[in-house]
Amino acid sequence: MVETGHFALVLAFALSLVQMLVPLYGARVGNLKMMAVGGPVAVTGFALTALSFAALASAYAGSDFSVASVWENSHSLQPLIYRITGTWGNHEGSMLLWVLILTFFGALVAVFGSNLPATLRANVLAVQGTIGAAFFLFILATSNPFIRLNPAPIEGRDLNPILQDLGLAIHPPLLYLGYVGFSICFSFSVAALIEGRIDASWARWVRPWTLVAWMFLTGGIAMGSYWAYYELGWGGFWFWDPVENASFMPWLAGTALLHSAIVMEKRSALKIWTLLLAILTFSLSLLGTFLVRSGVLTSVHAFATDPARGVFILCILTLFIGGSLALFALRASRLTAGGLFHPISREGALVLNNLFLTTATATVLVGTLYPLALEAVTGGKISVGAPFFDLTFGPLMLPLLAIVPFGPLLAWKRGDVLAAAQRLMAAFAAALVAVLVTALFIDGASVFAALGVGLAVWLLCGALTDLAVKSGLGNVAPAVVLSRFTGLPRSVFGTALAHLGLGLTLLGIVGTVSFGTEKILTMHAGETVELSGNTLRFEGLYPAQGPNYSEDRGRFLVIGTDGNAKGEISSAKRFYPVRQTTTTESGIRTIGFSQLYLSLGDEGNDGSVVVRLWWKPLVTLIWGGALVMMAGALMSLMDRRLRVGAPSRRRKPAGAAPAASAP
Amino acid sequence: MLFWVIAAILTLGASLAVLLPLAGGTKGASSAGEHDLEVYRDQLSELDRDVARGLIQPAEAEEARAEIGRRILRLGAAGQSGPAARRSSMATRLVATAAVLAVPLVSWGLYIKLGSPDLPSQPLTERLAKNPADSSVDELVARAEAHLAANPSDGRGWDVLAPVYLRLQRYSDAVSAYRNAIRLDGDSAARQAGLGEAIANAAGGIVSAEAQAAFEAALKQDPANAKASFYLAMGLAQEGRTGEATAAWQKMLAALPPDSPWRGAVEQALADTASKSAAAGAPANGPDAQAVDAAQQMSPQDRQAMIETMVASLDEKLKQNPRDVEGWMRLIRSYAVLGKADQARDALGRAIAAFGADSEEAKKFTAFAATLGLAATE
Amino acid sequence: MTRKQKRLSVIVAGLAFLAAATGLTFYALGQKASYFYMPGDLATATVQPGQRIRLGGLVEKGTIVRGQGATVAFSVTDKQKSVKVTYTGILPDLFREEQGVITEGSFGADGIFVADSVLAKHDERYMPKEVADGLKAKGVWQESKSQ
Repeated sequence: MVETGHFALVLAFALSLVQMLVPLYGARVGNLKMMAVGGPVAVTGFALTALSFAALASAYAGSDFSVASVWENSHSLQPLIYRITGTWGNHEGSMLLWVLILTFFGALVAVFGSNLPATLRANVLAVQGTIGAAFFLFILATSNPFIRLNPAPIEGRDLNPILQDLGLAIHPPLLYLGYVGFSICFSFSVAALIEGRIDASWARWVRPWTLVAWMFLTGGIAMGSYWAYYELGWGGFWFWDPVENASFMPWLAGTALLHSAIVMEKRSALKIWTLLLAILTFSLSLLGTFLVRSGVLTSVHAFATDPARGVFILCILTLFIGGSLALFALRASRLTAGGLFHPISREGALVLNNLFLTTATATVLVGTLYPLALEAVTGGKISVGAPFFDLTFGPLMLPLLAIVPFGPLLAWKRGDVLAAAQRLMAAFAAALVAVLVTALFIDGASVFAALGVGLAVWLLCGALTDLAVKSGLGNVAPAVVLSRFTGLPRSVFGTALAHLGLGLTLLGIVGTVSFGTEKILTMHAGETVELSGNTLRFEGLYPAQGPNYSEDRGRFLVIGTDGNAKGEISSAKRFYPVRQTTTTESGIRTIGFSQLYLSLGDEGNDGSVVVRLWWKPLVTLIWGGALVMMAGALMSLMDRRLRVGAPSRRRKPAGAAPAASAP
Repeated sequence: MLFWVIAAILTLGASLAVLLPLAGGTKGASSAGEHDLEVYRDQLSELDRDVARGLIQPAEAEEARAEIGRRILRLGAAGQSGPAARRSSMATRLVATAAVLAVPLVSWGLYIKLGSPDLPSQPLTERLAKNPADSSVDELVARAEAHLAANPSDGRGWDVLAPVYLRLQRYSDAVSAYRNAIRLDGDSAARQAGLGEAIANAAGGIVSAEAQAAFEAALKQDPANAKASFYLAMGLAQEGRTGEATAAWQKMLAALPPDSPWRGAVEQALADTASKSAAAGAPANGPDAQAVDAAQQMSPQDRQAMIETMVASLDEKLKQNPRDVEGWMRLIRSYAVLGKADQARDALGRAIAAFGADSEEAKKFTAFAATLGLAATE
Repeated sequence: MTRKQKRLSVIVAGLAFLAAATGLTFYALGQKASYFYMPGDLATATVQPGQRIRLGGLVEKGTIVRGQGATVAFSVTDKQKSVKVTYTGILPDLFREEQGVITEGSFGADGIFVADSVLAKHDERYMPKEVADGLKAKGVWQESKSQ
């Protein structure tokens, strides 16, 4: 089984070479048969990669220590779920997951792309095949997960205990679906540049892919943030760690791409922006892979450092980023300009949005790469952390957030800011009230906190205003409003939900950062502590035995105002003997949207223990907002417009179309 | 064999994926222009829906309709230049053949170089389910461990496993196994003495206070326990109380039955202590001390021969059981001391190979060898 | 304004915006980036009290003192010099004697480094990269001795 997986991987590499060359050549000489090769090869390549991945996963699940990567990163006593997720909890396996998802998307284009123009489809699959070939080669040459050990050791060296968590089951697959999903947009852009023309169906195709990738990336980042929050025991949800930035940059660029693609689809404008953003987004995804996988950064994600890998990925990076940008420089001028628009219009607002987002991406990029560049040039070591990003990223994002509600209310081509502002009066009033209430009635609220809350409320109400205006609230009869509301295109709901989610996330961040409280103290069993209206009693430390660890679990009772226990929080210090590692399992209790977060420190000699306690108001909104954003993306994806492609054989009579009601 | 069949089938499938589209007929592909037209038509119908729903003003809609109309006209002007199916030329036929052949050639060529086709999968449960007679000691231990992980309160299991750990030099595991056995099945002289021995060995042979307590507990259960008495005396010797140690050992010797396996050990310990006090601090200790003493009294040739036999037997032992860090270091040092640098390097290479080139052990070996003035030859 | 002028003004505004963002970025880099030092480097570098830096090295053996509540004092050393550090909070799980550590904070007037964050390695197999590089440069640490 293991060797079958290895063989399937090699075979998938061979097919990716064919996929890279034959359709491209076919498109060049106009040979339809050769162009048709791309589809079946992409599907077969995906099937083989899936087989290979299944073989590796079964080796992990069955603790086959004759496979070197299993021996390095697994242990037979781990629960089954962590033995399986351990498949991608290491460098080799995670790269295999990466290409699995890449070939999966390639296969999707092959299957659903039958209504694309033949040359475009062939070129897209060829570019996709090129990326695949490069990464298959990388895996086989430097990170082969199927290297065997003979004789096989009897026990493995265990998975890093920090990774023995459900988060590993969700975070990397979601993140990779996002990262790699952008490869489709990249392939479409490069294919368009190769052909020198952009088909009308181009934007129709790119937009849903962008939505899919963006949705998964949003989920992946949010999940990673929540995982770090509860697993690392520091109570922080974002550290501006270079690895986090590596996933955040494609998200920012991808968000710009998403908005750009709307204009492109509706108005055939912003072609250059869209192409460039598609290339940049995937380039940043690749850069993220390089930063994380090459070992230039130290972090939880750097599984093992090997200079050969770094050099290899750097070559891939240079090839794809350099190649695509060079092609862009050569061919972009050939693309015809699209519809014209006034600076003050929906298009103009989206251009402004792109400008802010790309600039914000650039500041994050500088903050992430500058320390590396400085060290390479002068040898000096600096770290760029939260203070830098607060000063640069913050001022860029605040005005952007402030203008978000205007965007959807402006008309295409030529908008009227005053009219939009009039419609937003209610939202503005609500935000003003929120600012005043926060400033006057909450103790210790700073000006920033009050403004932050106001901005969040502004975003929330702005999103709702958009829906209200579009259903004609106040202009037409209530019954009509209802029917209009239910008849709104799903992409309108998608926009509103995504902006609503943004507001929720902002509210969560402001709430946690501005109104959070914390306490560090030494507690003995029986003592109580009070934090922001919550009373906790420490019951004591109880030893327990897990499957592959032993732990001291500290139990705390949440005491209600009547003196009775309302619930329990427990936090534990776990010791994993195989790796001689201790981890802290934080204890969290969710109260409304807020959380009480507790983490154990060192034990004293007298049975006391250091306890760090946080009250995190509205913290769950940070990730809840991301879920709402994902729901918005999903909603947009279901819009009927995005399901239509090209010459369909069974079209309705032309006259019937206007009468057809929206789904 | 089955593997080769599967590999052949997979290769065939993959080659067909390339071959069939190249061999098959082509459906009349629609030109890019047709695709564009369809999109514009759809945009027009969407516009109509928006007007019907009152989302946009009729004037705006008219403007947008005109714009889409202009795009359609431009499309017509650009002309229908779909990809014309040409006759397959020599070059395209060549490319097609190369593509079909590349799949089996690249995959088999690479796999032969990278793969280990003869190595079967070895899932742990399968290995542990084998007939015990065919299993290695490691596998038996792993089986016992799996059993104990499932039934951690099986005191007898821990009792059986503990001495095995001790013999395998997994001292800290032996300590916890003995502790579990004592906790679950109660005190016994053998368990306490074993615990003491494990603690002492885990500390590199030093009889610590903790070990001493275990030995004393053993003696309380069985005052005649030889292991406990022996190690307690060893502890005295380590503290420098040689006289008391010697007295204790002599007392043991008098009390031990003539066929006791401990006789040899006690006699050797007595001889060690005696020679050590005679040599006043000569650095002779450990299990080889007596042998080294004997070697000092031999002729140089005999001594050399004896040492080489010892080294060879160690080498042989490591070939049987390569996962012995201490053993490898002893072997490397021995060869280095004997002046056999090549063999020392060879041993270093084998030691690194046994643990994998980037393992911690391998680094340890390299560092250790470096202190002896050796560099790994890789 | 003609269409051309309008277009020009949009471009100028965009460039001004970019220039402002660039300026801000470099100002922030100058102000907010914290430099990494090992104890031995502090003799030659001038670090003002209150200036934020990162201090890395090994936790010196036998210097960990737990004080009142959750305050801990220890020394960070690069085997040449050592610096006293105090920290209030929960130490990372992998914080141990003789292990690599990075602390972030600033010097107090009394020359004691007050850390507000302490990072140890994420995994027992690895040492923080900066510390490993620093120690290697000083010839104190070799790859093989990491365990």
